[in-house]
Amino acid sequence: MTERGQMMDDAWYMDYAAGSLDSVGEEVLIASHLELSGTASERVAELERIGAALLMVAGDETELNFSADDIFDMDAPASAPTPLAANDIDSEIILPEALKSFLTGIERDVKWEFLGPGLQKAMLWDGPEQEKLWLLKAKPGVAIPHHGHNGSELTLVLKGSFHDGEQQYCRGDVEEAGPDTEHDIRIDDGEECICLALTRGKLRYDSPLLKLFQVFTGL
Amino acid sequence: MASTVNFPGTALSAAVLSDLLEQVGQERDRDAFRQIFQHFAPRIRTFLVQRRLSGAQADDLTQDVMLTIWRRAESYDRSKASPSTWIYTIARNQHIDYFRKTARAQQLDENDPHFHLNDDPAPDALVSRAEDVSTVIEALSTLPDDQRLVVDLAFKEGRSHRDIADQLDLPLGTVKSRIRLAMDKLRVCIGEQE
Repeated sequence: MTERGQMMDDAWYMDYAAGSLDSVGEEVLIASHLELSGTASERVAELERIGAALLMVAGDETELNFSADDIFDMDAPASAPTPLAANDIDSEIILPEALKSFLTGIERDVKWEFLGPGLQKAMLWDGPEQEKLWLLKAKPGVAIPHHGHNGSELTLVLKGSFHDGEQQYCRGDVEEAGPDTEHDIRIDDGEECICLALTRGKLRYDSPLLKLFQVFTGL
Repeated sequence: MASTVNFPGTALSAAVLSDLLEQVGQERDRDAFRQIFQHFAPRIRTFLVQRRLSGAQADDLTQDVMLTIWRRAESYDRSKASPSTWIYTIARNQHIDYFRKTARAQQLDENDPHFHLNDDPAPDALVSRAEDVSTVIEALSTLPDDQRLVVDLAFKEGRSHRDIADQLDLPLGTVKSRIRLAMDKLRVCIGEQE
């Protein structure tokens, strides 16, 4: 059974194992989670055996119009790996490889911006359906105002920890929120917290002041 | 993986395939690679066609996957994964990369009759195949139809759980709980191996 706070819903692990996730944003977030959570990556490894078994029973009668020798001909010396773009995000947290290589590949200038008191954001990627992949940095002890979602949200902790109500989330844990979830988030004391978040649709605040504030944050 | 049962015809057991991959990785053994190619390349192509690639696209990508196997065989670790799982994940990942790059350029025709699921061989026809594969296929055959369908749509057609909910016109929660039930059952059946 899925334990909220550390593991994600099996639907995500199945999509990952099957290679059927909807977006790059989901792939980066879940691949990062799997690097940080041994339990989750073991679960996915089991599911990958399903894909492997179905590959093995797939038909092998196809006549190919190329051979192994064509592969040897294609084999040119591999190009040198691209060095990671130096940026301030990299130096602050130990980034999962999946996120690192994603950041290397994007052309966007990743930088921290003001989000609210004690809160900063860095936008990484925009997808269809108002999907956004971004980093959240919060000072210790900061409370994020009570809010809901019009879409869904996945939040992977990269550094530090936070509480949502009674549940604690630490490095490697993912919090899943749907349209029905209401959050009451408080960053734990002692260390700043950095999370990788994937949101679909806009956040929904109860307070009219925050609704106004939302215009500036772009979330 | 201690299975020494040979596949029928040109097919090879998981143990033999592991040996071959190690020969490629350590010695750049071309003959060993030719055997791996013969075994996997047609299957990878079939897998990619199931994922709605055209014949020409599937040819290109199959070559890329085989090239990756040739180059990266050194990193294969038999204590971590069976050869088929290792190769499956390479094919899956390269398909994703390819798909992401081309997705914007083309719209897939969801109603194309070529994109139907094909029937698996019956489990008893698989007895002579590698242990791991038959265990998984047998486990799949024990799933109720509604759970089997979501697994097939994900692994064969490459559909996400959101996509499946849309396609079957079911609430997302219903699809998620079917997946959870299916995964729990499969975990019990296949989790004890290796």
